[in-house]
Order: sequence, then structure tokens, then C-alpha cells
Amino acid sequence: MRPPARFETGLPMLIALSLAAYAGFLLLALAQARPRQRLGLAAQLAPGRRLTLRLGGALLLALALVLALARDGPGFGSLLWGTAISLAALAVACTLSWPPRRLPGLAARVTRPGAGQARERAPDQGERQSR
Amino acid sequence: MGADLRAAMGWLHTWAGLALGAILFAIFWMGTLSVFDREIDRWMMPDTRLPAVAPPAWPALIDRARALAPDSPAWGFVLPTPRAPTARFYYQDAAGEFTFRDLDPETGAALPEAGALGGTGFIFPFHFRLHLRAWDLGYWLVGLAGMAMLALLVSGVIIHRKIFADFFTFRHERRLSRASLDLHNLTGVLGLPFHFVMTLSGLIIFFGIYFPGAINAVYDNDRGAFNREVFGGFQRPVAGLPGPLGSLEAMSAEAARRWRGEPPYFVRVWHPGDANATVEMRRSRARSIDMNVDTLHFDAATGALLQEHSAAPVAHVQRFIAGLHFIQFEHWPLRWIYFALGLAGCAMIATGYVYWLAARQRRHAAGGAPGLRLVTGLTIGAVTGLLIATLVFFNVNRLLPQGAAFLGYERAALEVWAFYLAWLAAFAHAWGRPGCAWREQCWAIAALATLAPLMNWASTGDHLARTLPAGYWPVAGIDLLLLAGAALAARAALCLRQPAAAPAGGAALEAPGQV
Repeated sequence: MRPPARFETGLPMLIALSLAAYAGFLLLALAQARPRQRLGLAAQLAPGRRLTLRLGGALLLALALVLALARDGPGFGSLLWGTAISLAALAVACTLSWPPRRLPGLAARVTRPGAGQARERAPDQGERQSR
Repeated sequence: MGADLRAAMGWLHTWAGLALGAILFAIFWMGTLSVFDREIDRWMMPDTRLPAVAPPAWPALIDRARALAPDSPAWGFVLPTPRAPTARFYYQDAAGEFTFRDLDPETGAALPEAGALGGTGFIFPFHFRLHLRAWDLGYWLVGLAGMAMLALLVSGVIIHRKIFADFFTFRHERRLSRASLDLHNLTGVLGLPFHFVMTLSGLIIFFGIYFPGAINAVYDNDRGAFNREVFGGFQRPVAGLPGPLGSLEAMSAEAARRWRGEPPYFVRVWHPGDANATVEMRRSRARSIDMNVDTLHFDAATGALLQEHSAAPVAHVQRFIAGLHFIQFEHWPLRWIYFALGLAGCAMIATGYVYWLAARQRRHAAGGAPGLRLVTGLTIGAVTGLLIATLVFFNVNRLLPQGAAFLGYERAALEVWAFYLAWLAAFAHAWGRPGCAWREQCWAIAALATLAPLMNWASTGDHLARTLPAGYWPVAGIDLLLLAGAALAARAALCLRQPAAAPAGGAALEAPGQV
């Protein structure tokens, strides 16, 4: 089993894999009705759009796994990934509970509605509704 | 069928959680702290705050060992590591009693007696045996709670109505029963892989206690034979003639060569001074997840290898699972992740109680149900009370002078007494003043967690303005965690100021897991 990465090379990889896992769960959340409602976005997405978000989220989580394995080898890498994604998901849940001011607008832009989504807000109108 | 199953699982989840949640919270809390047990040792035993790890100076250490334990049948050293920089000398006296002593690895000088149990001596054993030694009662209670935890995790998943729809949901602004259930579900679901693996691996570590029949049947009631097969063990009879001790450096180097560069973490000399003396070396666990049992035995005089042991396949699997739980490896990101997820587990258990109480508060308030009051007190005492007791333990450690004794109890025992008395007092307070105990105990936590770094400063001179620039993380890290915990507890107490203010509940609930 490979020894743990040295600090200098390990820290950027650690940050990168944490961000990938966080962004991955954020995309998965933005494909769901409850988090969308909380951000004041239309609950429903066009199925194609939703699938894209989910695939993007899954890919980012897979990227996090690749980074973890590259950083620490199969043993520590998989353990690091398996535990770090729990924390990343908790961080996403906290983000959605206390959303930053600019998150709804950003989310609306990322998940721009597909055809037939008349009730979807325009990105610049995506204001926060929940406190 | 579905509804029946869910109702049955709901009943199980409620009552198992209610009955064993307090013990589970204590196990989770102590386990979470045990992640930093060596750092807590440095904080509570200031004489062991050595500046840097030095390779062991063997001649000085051997001289000291001969002086401290002249007639011992076996003595050895746990070698310094970055987290525990002393050479921990141990010997067995003629009566078979084990004595431990911290030595300076460079000079061999004996450090003053710590007079404290600290993280490895009190908090870690509390985690797996609750310090109830009689009839192994502590082990069995922890085992029962662990089995219950597995049942609680599975039944919790079954009764959760919308696992995926509510995967990220925490509506902290809603009323307490909703917010606490959200947080309970959130920490339970997102932490599930970690909590399940930790609970299961914890049970597997002690299979020999929980399922003694397996070992007794296979090894014909001979525990010694089982231990020899798993952990190795090489014994040679005493020759009765004097013999020299060869170079331990050379034997360490040979061990490192056989272990792909990994040094021993433990070195022991059997029958020191005898012509048939042997040297045992155990391989470091710093670089792999599994807690290897790789051991080498050398002839003490010549350094010739007598036996090489390593785990058989099944034992290897068990040691890997144990390693997942013990995290004896050097991996700081994982250590912090374990700590954070451990806190999430504490929050899960605490919010389970809070939800149960909040959901029944209105229904039972009219009748003034005694059961509700009982559980309220149990929850507060088990959650904030345990945090108070832990912080009292830390503070008393810095308050008592070296060599203190009272009523025949030594310093280390006095710290433990302070812990239990503070916990008892917190329970009494919680049952006596259920209406305001949450808030008052949060204030107590904030005060004690602020006081502890100040006491550390006053008694050792190590304050954050000194330890942070020096990068002395064992002490700086614990001081910072204490202060962060104090801030969170104060925030929670402020939110709890308005009784029955539902929005405050969510923020307050995070505090229990934090110090």
C-alpha cells in the first residue's frame, strides 16, 4: 500500500477532490424538487435537463474518487473518498439550508429550463425566497 | 405489508433509541474524542510536550531501562512517533504488574510522572468499556449498544419516508420537531456509511469477548494458543547464565529492511541480561490501514533472526477492519474527517432524543407526564451533561498540582472523580430544572471551554500566540477546538433564551456535538 501523500502535493489534491465532491452533490441537489423550491426555482425540470445535471453530479463524484485514488493509492484513497463524500453532502445540505445570496441566480443559470418550462424564472430574477 | 413493517420498525427505532441512546451518545462522544487521544495526552500531560521527534538513542534508553527495571523478566519501549514523541518505557515487575514510564528518547531521562490518564488512559477506554470492569460489564454494554445501533440504522432507513427527496433537507427555520427530525435524518442518512462501518467494525474488534465460544471450540479453551497463532509469540526458556545485549540499532535496521522501510513501533527485550534473551520487534502501523501484527524475534546477543510472524488471511481481514476503526495510521485529513463524522453521529443521537421530546411535548404537556420529564432529564444529562463532565475533566487536570492527593486518591483518580461528579451533578440539575437546563448547561459548556485554554496558559505558559506561530498543533489544535466549542455553546444558549422559540431549535441542536 502506498504511503500517504506528502503535505505539499497532498493539499491541492485534497482541496480539488473536496471541491469536486461538493460540486457533484450540489448538481445532484439542483436536479431535485425540494432543494429547487428552497432556492425559489421551479420545482420541476425538463427530464433531459435533470438527467444532464445528474450525470454531471455523478461524473464529479467519480472525478473525486479518481483524485483520491491518485493521491493516496487504493487503500487510503477509497477510504478518503468514502468518508469525504459524506462531509461534502453535509456541506451541500448546509449550503441549501442557509443559501448564499447569489446561489439561486447561479443555480438558475446552471440549470436553465428546458423547453416547455414556462414557469421557470429567468436567471436574473432568481431571487431568494427563503430567509 | 409495507405499512406494517414500517410501523414495527418505527416502534423498534423509538424504543431502542430511547433506551440505549444515552449510552450510544457517550460511546460516540468518547470515540470522537479518541480520534485525537494522543493530542489530548499532550494537552493533559505537559511534561510530554517534547519539541520534535527524535530517533531513539538506544544506549541511553537501555541504561535507563536497566536502572528502572533491574530484575524484570521483560521490558520494552513504545517508540516515539510524531503524535506521541516520548519513548514509552514499560516493564513487568516480579509480581507480574506492568508499569509504564515516559522517557525522553534523546537522553533516556525519565519524564516526571504525569499523574493523569488523559486521552489514551481515560477517554479511549471509556469509549469501548465505559470503565465498568466487573464481569466485563462495560464491554457487554457497549456490545449491546453497538448491536442496537446497527438495528437503529437499518430500521431508521426503513421508516424514513423520503430518503432521496429529503437527501439534503434541513429546514432549520421550522418548528423544533420538524427541524430536529430534519437534522436527525440528514446526519443519519449522509453519515450512514461511516456510522455503519464504525459500529460494525467496533463489534468485530471484540469478537473474542462477544463470541468466546468460537475461540474456545476451535482452540480447545486455550486462549493462549489462539493469541500465539494470531499475534505470534516466541518464547525461549531462561538459560540462567549472563549474556550480552547486541545492537538494537542493527536489529531495527534489519527489521526495517524486511518491512519495506517501515520501522518497528515497539521493541521488547525478553529475559534481559540472560544468555537466552530475545528481542521482539513489532512493525509500525503508520503507513497502512490494517493493524498489522508483523513481528520479528531476534537473538539478543547475536541479532540473528529467530522467528518472523505475520497475520494469516482471516486474521488479516479482521486486522484490516480493526484498522479502519482504530486509525493508527498517519493520515491527517482522514483523522479530521473521522472527527467531523463522529460529531455528526453525536448530533444524530442527540437530535433523535430532541425530536422524540418535541413531538410529545404538546401532547403530554397537559398531563405533565412523568415519562416526559424523565426523558428530558436523561437527554440533557446524557448530552450537555457529558460535555460538561468532559470539560471539567480537562479543567481539573490543569488545576490540580503535581502530586496532588485527597482522601487517599491520587491525582489521576481525582480527575476521574471530578468527571463523574460533574456528570452526576449535570443529571441532577437536568431533572431538577428541566425547563431551563438546556440553556444553563450550554452556558456552563461555554464557560468551561473558555476556561480550559486559559488554565492551560496559566499552568504551562503555552497559549495560542505561542503555540500557533510555533506550529505546535497538539496543544494549539485542542485550544482552538475548545474555543470553537465555547462559541457554539454560547450561540446555542443565546438562541435558547426565548423558551419555545421554535426557530432557535435548529441552531441550538448543532451545539451538542461540537466542543
